[in-house]
Amino acid sequence: MTPRVKAPWSLLVAFMSIALVITACQSQPAGTTASQAPADQADPNGELVTNMGAEPDTIDPQKESFVQEIGVTMKVFEALMTPSLKDGKPIPAAAKDQPKVSSDGTEYTYTLRDGLKFSDGSPVTPADFKYGWERLCDPTTAGDYAFTGYIVKGCEKWNEMDTKKASKADLDAARQAFLDNIVTTNNAITFKLTEPAPYFNSIAAIWVGVPVKKAAIDKGGDKWTEPATFIGNGPFKLTEWKHNEKMTFERNDNFVGHDGQKAKLKKWTQVMINEGAVAFAAYRNNELDIYPVAAEDLRTIQGDADLTKQTVDGPGSCTFYIGFNNKKAPFTDPNVRVAFAKSFDRDQWVKDIIGGIGKPATSFIPPGIPGYDAEDTFQKFDPTAAKAALAKASPEATAALANLKVTYSSSARNKTRLEWFQQQWKTNLGVNVALDPVDATTYTQLVKKPETLPTMFLLGWCSDYYDQQDWLTTVFSSKASSARVGYTSKQFDDLVFAGDKELNPQTRDQDYQKASRLLSQDAAAAFIYYDATKLLEKPWVKNYSITSLGFEEAHFTDAYVTKKP
Amino acid sequence: MLSYVIRRVLLMIPTLFFVAFITFVLAHSAPGSPFDKNQNRPLPEATIERLNRLYGIDQPIQNQFVLYLNNLVHLDLGSSLVKDRTVADIIGSEFPVSAQLGLQALFIALAIALPLGIVSALKQNTGIDYASLLFATIGTTIPAFVIAIFAIFLFGVNLRWFPFIGWGNGCGPLPSCDLKRMAMPTVILSLGAMAFLTRITRASMLEAIRQDYVRTARSKGLREQVVIVGHVVKNAMIPVATIIGPATAGLITGSFIIEWMFNVPGLGREFVLSINRRDYPLIMGVYMLYATLIVIANLTVDIVYGWIDPRIKLGR
Repeated sequence: MTPRVKAPWSLLVAFMSIALVITACQSQPAGTTASQAPADQADPNGELVTNMGAEPDTIDPQKESFVQEIGVTMKVFEALMTPSLKDGKPIPAAAKDQPKVSSDGTEYTYTLRDGLKFSDGSPVTPADFKYGWERLCDPTTAGDYAFTGYIVKGCEKWNEMDTKKASKADLDAARQAFLDNIVTTNNAITFKLTEPAPYFNSIAAIWVGVPVKKAAIDKGGDKWTEPATFIGNGPFKLTEWKHNEKMTFERNDNFVGHDGQKAKLKKWTQVMINEGAVAFAAYRNNELDIYPVAAEDLRTIQGDADLTKQTVDGPGSCTFYIGFNNKKAPFTDPNVRVAFAKSFDRDQWVKDIIGGIGKPATSFIPPGIPGYDAEDTFQKFDPTAAKAALAKASPEATAALANLKVTYSSSARNKTRLEWFQQQWKTNLGVNVALDPVDATTYTQLVKKPETLPTMFLLGWCSDYYDQQDWLTTVFSSKASSARVGYTSKQFDDLVFAGDKELNPQTRDQDYQKASRLLSQDAAAAFIYYDATKLLEKPWVKNYSITSLGFEEAHFTDAYVTKKP
Repeated sequence: MLSYVIRRVLLMIPTLFFVAFITFVLAHSAPGSPFDKNQNRPLPEATIERLNRLYGIDQPIQNQFVLYLNNLVHLDLGSSLVKDRTVADIIGSEFPVSAQLGLQALFIALAIALPLGIVSALKQNTGIDYASLLFATIGTTIPAFVIAIFAIFLFGVNLRWFPFIGWGNGCGPLPSCDLKRMAMPTVILSLGAMAFLTRITRASMLEAIRQDYVRTARSKGLREQVVIVGHVVKNAMIPVATIIGPATAGLITGSFIIEWMFNVPGLGREFVLSINRRDYPLIMGVYMLYATLIVIANLTVDIVYGWIDPRIKLGR
């Protein structure tokens, strides 16, 4: 065992750069020149090899919460709806059409397409969807994302029961009460909600409620997620899982998409390479077809014409911000918050610190997510206004500026980032801020509780589904699922809660827009940048769409490869 | 002899108990919980509380420890808190890989270090001695991850001699071995141990060579070969054997760096990640395995002493 070196990554990056510079000067391995590729024709036996990084902790759709886990589930399963590639709005997948919504907005009925089958050939029924939802809300499943189901009546009550203390009769009663709110017929499923919730259709498009086969789960038990019993209704089936090494997916011939198409790839292999530098080497060796670029790689790529040509850009799904503890001096004073929010040069940040992989952010919701507001520029860099705001701060707040520190998750990358901020604040505000690095898990622990929330910290928020509710209500309202910055505003709450329930799409968007602007002006947090995705793609990879969430059905079915040279 | 072994085996129980106790307390006193997974998409506080309750992490630590010991006595290592697998399953599939990698590396290290150390001691202050010293110094000072990254680029990407991702299918019968795939991780893992063992062997050879009994053996007119093999090498092996025991335990339980760099699905990488993620049952499981192996290795070394040097009497 070698626990001697806990985090060699930062050094690795440094050494990698040296190694890359050396190798960049040498000839490319054979077979990377685009000109040799045959015409733009899909290879019917095409295989795509990508890297998923670390092994997924679980691929049980009702338990998981991580991006690469969801990427597995959504290859193998098809939900009722799926986010469209165009604007992220939910479009039908396993459902025949958009849901029928009752006039009060609390009942959603989805009719299934005809002839849906699992990969083992058995039919997909509304009962299989219902069983997925039952597992989601079942307290014994202990799923990370059970809370997304709380909008369905009875889910929250059942899910929050203490399985060790509650009697079996109580548990059964709660289970039955929940199940009564999901009604199935032979081809349709109806969900009864606790309140009108237009975002429910977006939840129907994520992984949490995909149909699972009870027989397969009962047979596989704790190991049902192994290939033999991991049976889904999606475009691919999992045919091999070598733990900590790779997963292999093959086209599911029992799947027919909403557009009548099957997956264009015959095979999709996802290897698990942890170290970015090694993955980059594997890409250059043609062992990977796609490689996500980190800022550290840009120098190498710019120095190599072939690699530059293989670069593709796409959106990200996260917004990063400097969080202020709104309940702690000096940030109880809105003037101080505004001063800090306007005090750093976001354009310079994007250019120098993240190598252009991202965009400056002056509002919370990122581009590509409904509610993105390009005109909300209140927080834009303005050192004069920042100083003026700081001058208006109360004496107590000004006194508290003396020993300010910013807390962050310790890594070489974050250190560089925070040192940049330190410099900006010193130059533009004349405030000295100390750095306070802590280890990653400790950091996550600190920032989730109001009583331990640091005064200032670096954090982000990433999307689960395409809806403003997932951003504004979930992070900054008084009903926020985890304490974030201690921001409290009655006006903001009223706006987002009205938006959550509003059935008229225009009014709803307006409510959220007002709330979002209020958030920027109150400077509950200082928004820094929206992340982005930059990939290297081999010339034979076609139609591989880069999306914010990465689990849209078309993302999996449309990609193909031409014959590899 | 037998009673000695039995006594030592019984002594393992309190040793392992203390290891379990200390590890358990230390692991649980680090801040954070296994459910603090993702800073940018944290789970709601209510969800974390529910999960803590379900897995019993909300209980006082002494209760948790008693429960853990009780399960341990029944050979139940529990389930990982972050992975959807049991600890026994994880160790069962990953320990063999690490053990194979470690044994291969140990074999290579010994095969080169012992002859090299012996020869350089016998030819002290000659070219071969200096060369071996240089090698030993380089092998000890350059960290494995630096060597690994250069090896990947040189032998993997530029020369394309060896694949560098994954472990293939391991080894069933020898012809099925994916030797090319195993080459780089095995050799690079062996370098550290090799360099260290070379130095130890050389030093203890030089020590032994100057002993009175060697002079006596020579003055008796024994052949040089007999003196070297029978008297010098045998005595010089005692410190080496002392090191080999724990080194074996260390090598076969996996190397984080090598497994991380070459994507070997072994236990070393899993262990370090489990610490970072506060996966208490997995930390405990691997640590208990490691402690058990160390205790066994030390016992083996003690028994081997008696064979190398009959003056060391066991059990008194």
